[in-house]
Amino acid sequence: MESSPEREPPATVEGGDAGSDAGSADSQNVDVLISDEVAALQELALRGSWRTIIEKVSQARSFSLLRYPHEHLVYLTFNAIALTKLRRFTEAMEDIESSVENLDSPSYRYEAFPNIYPNRKGSMVPFSLRWIHALLPTFLKSPDSLDRLYLLLNFVRSRIDAEKDDDSSSRGRVWRRREELVIGTIISIHSSQKEFGVCLNLLRYLLNRDRHNPYLLSKLGYVQLQFGDLDEARISFNLAEKLILEKKESSVEDLNLVGRNKALLYMVGKDYVSSIREYDQCIERDASDAVAINNKALCLMYLRDLTDSIKVLENSLERVPTAALNEMLVVNLCSILFNSSIFLLTLYDYYNEHFHGIQRISDCGICGVEYAKF
Amino acid sequence: MSGNVGGGGAGGGSHSLAFRVMRLCRPSLHVETPLKFDPADLLVGEDLFDDPTAADRLPSLLSSLSHSSDSSSPDLNFRSRFLLPDPSDATGLSGLLVLPQSFGAIYLGETFCSYISINNSSSFEVRDVVIKAEIQTERQRVLLLDTTKTPVETIRAGGRYDFIVEHDVKELGAHTLVCTALYNDGDGERKYLPQFFKFIVANPISVRTKVRVVKDLTFLEACIENHTKANLFMDQVEFQPAQHWRATVLAADKHHAENKLSSDAEIFKPPILIRSGGGIHNFLYLLKSFSQESKQTRIEGSNILGKLQITWRTNLGEPGRLQTQQILGSLYYSVLFANSVPTRCQKAGMPSYRHTGFLCKVSGEGLNKEDALEYSDRLHLGTIISHFAPHIIPKPWPVPRKEIDLQVVKIPQVIVLHKPFEVQLSLANQTDRTLGPFEIWFSGDANGERAFMVNGLQTMALPEVRAFSSSDLNMNLIATKVGVQKITGITVFDSVEKKTYEPLPELEIFVDSD
Repeated sequence: MESSPEREPPATVEGGDAGSDAGSADSQNVDVLISDEVAALQELALRGSWRTIIEKVSQARSFSLLRYPHEHLVYLTFNAIALTKLRRFTEAMEDIESSVENLDSPSYRYEAFPNIYPNRKGSMVPFSLRWIHALLPTFLKSPDSLDRLYLLLNFVRSRIDAEKDDDSSSRGRVWRRREELVIGTIISIHSSQKEFGVCLNLLRYLLNRDRHNPYLLSKLGYVQLQFGDLDEARISFNLAEKLILEKKESSVEDLNLVGRNKALLYMVGKDYVSSIREYDQCIERDASDAVAINNKALCLMYLRDLTDSIKVLENSLERVPTAALNEMLVVNLCSILFNSSIFLLTLYDYYNEHFHGIQRISDCGICGVEYAKF
Repeated sequence: MSGNVGGGGAGGGSHSLAFRVMRLCRPSLHVETPLKFDPADLLVGEDLFDDPTAADRLPSLLSSLSHSSDSSSPDLNFRSRFLLPDPSDATGLSGLLVLPQSFGAIYLGETFCSYISINNSSSFEVRDVVIKAEIQTERQRVLLLDTTKTPVETIRAGGRYDFIVEHDVKELGAHTLVCTALYNDGDGERKYLPQFFKFIVANPISVRTKVRVVKDLTFLEACIENHTKANLFMDQVEFQPAQHWRATVLAADKHHAENKLSSDAEIFKPPILIRSGGGIHNFLYLLKSFSQESKQTRIEGSNILGKLQITWRTNLGEPGRLQTQQILGSLYYSVLFANSVPTRCQKAGMPSYRHTGFLCKVSGEGLNKEDALEYSDRLHLGTIISHFAPHIIPKPWPVPRKEIDLQVVKIPQVIVLHKPFEVQLSLANQTDRTLGPFEIWFSGDANGERAFMVNGLQTMALPEVRAFSSSDLNMNLIATKVGVQKITGITVFDSVEKKTYEPLPELEIFVDSD
């Protein structure tokens, strides 16, 4: 690879301060902390180029291209994320465990490198590294994730209490957002284990702090729907709708949330026609609303309209493949196709994020229905 | 993977048609933790926002980095699969629905719903298709679909005819969904295709009830146990009382709900969710009889209390409904008394009221000693009783008639821990000869579990009791444990005949703390 320059070139946007030497970094110069290389990794992630990320990290490590201690951690985090996205969970876990023994070690603090980071204090660990380390056991079918996540929650809460910051400070906002992130992750695991009582309590905690959040209220409604409390789910959805309609300006996302929730209630009442009508409005507002597309297809199925159901799903995979490429949507499609006796030849690598366009494979010619390999 | 059930029993020869059956219960909401990130958690150290200057500049820096420079079709960039829009998305609850992935278990009280597809896999058209679908059980056949009157004219090569059937499951055990098609195949031959899809219906819940009577109040405790593989949300559990009875449900939680802030109560009512595979929930009802007569008389033989009607729900409100059989009260008694002296009684559900000189017969149905002993473990009932009538607990009628009988005449309303209290007993001689003198003591406490002590002489003496008469004695006791406790082991020894009796196996008391 090219040799790295002595001077840190200026990173993006903020004009003014040019980059300084590694040796005498201006502590106020934030640009040092988001180098071009790191920005490049971000760009690759935005494109879903996980394999490239893994290559870059591997090269950077082999050729010792990383200059700053904090960069090692950022690269490690990207590597773990890329491996996880490619479902290489064991490798991701091994990489983290072999690279860092203890994330709370003083060697991961700016104070350990006063030459490089004068006047900077605190931990240089990217928070996502902690998060993914806590989440990985779930993918490895180990029950450790919940323990790690609850410990992580304690960690986050200790950072909030420590300095009595309120929501107006950006520091306070950042840590509160992280608290919500960790609680949300905990809810997802409890939900998948059908532990709905805990989910309700955790959602109540979040709602107590953020009463007017229609998205949180919708999540509450989904949990209530899932275990069958239709009356309470209706109340939750109605509250969410009220909050959104009261807004001066509702985004497409807001309106689609209301529409999808309404459609769910119609579906629960077996009024599939009205449900489809709501979903159609959502799709009109946003053609990439994968949830609306998927759920509309299911309604068609319950209306005995298998053909249209399949059409809706296949069209979405063709028109908006990135949005629609969702494992469960494909699973639903397979269920419906299998039921209609169409012999499936499809092989798909759902987690192959390098999307190079659709190839069509025709089936045995029974019904002339084609479907995609992707 | 799609919940298809393989059918069996296709007729001889090859068929152009085949049935495929997919269970169509309600879908589920999919949960999946999203692998999405906020750049502030990824690109910089977690404590960077401690630095106020950095904190000022980072947000705009991060957001500019997040905007892809890719100007091609918005769908082809993966931003939405990488960036976490809102922390609430981490819950993984997107509202995406998933079809049932397996046939699953079918339970009594549910509705069996199925998508049935008949497919023509031959290269020829089939005509005049008469399709029938019915459910067969041991006891009956239920027709779900019959196109005899309007046969399907044609199903083209590679074509399909679909239908959805529903059936309320009201029987246990083996069920068979029989699908038959009578059709003209490509050669004009009339063919008959039967296919059978078997499934077993199991019992989803079991209901155990206990009845307990305190004075003129009847308590019904119902325990519902969940035998299914899913958590059951108890949508409605209603007790429908029989004629002359009125029921109110007693719920300990009501108190808490009233103390909550109104906005909380708006959103959060704690749901009754019974865990899968053995979870239980108890319901408590207070039943009052409002027949014309006062509490002093009851109607003989009317021991039907009513029925429990249960509606539960699972994913997306999939309902199930069951009703119990008539629940019998344990009371079957005729009592006629003027000055009733409430006496201490023992076994749950079997009251006895002593009238001067006239003891009433009481029998209970369906209860045994174990039930009574279990009762004191139920905190619910123990607490309730303490509010109403701490000193009244039913007792069995001694059958067969015993030679001596020991009854409790008087016991204090309130018994306080570590404070002596007096129990007045009456020993009745039910033979035709004089018995006694007697010695009375409490038999050994081998396990040291006894909840009381005798205050005073450990052995009490009682002089002779003449035929068919009774004699009173007082015992002074001290309670050593709080709550519902038992006084056990009263032993009466006839010192002349050298006979030992245990006429009062146990006595229940309620001890307050001091």
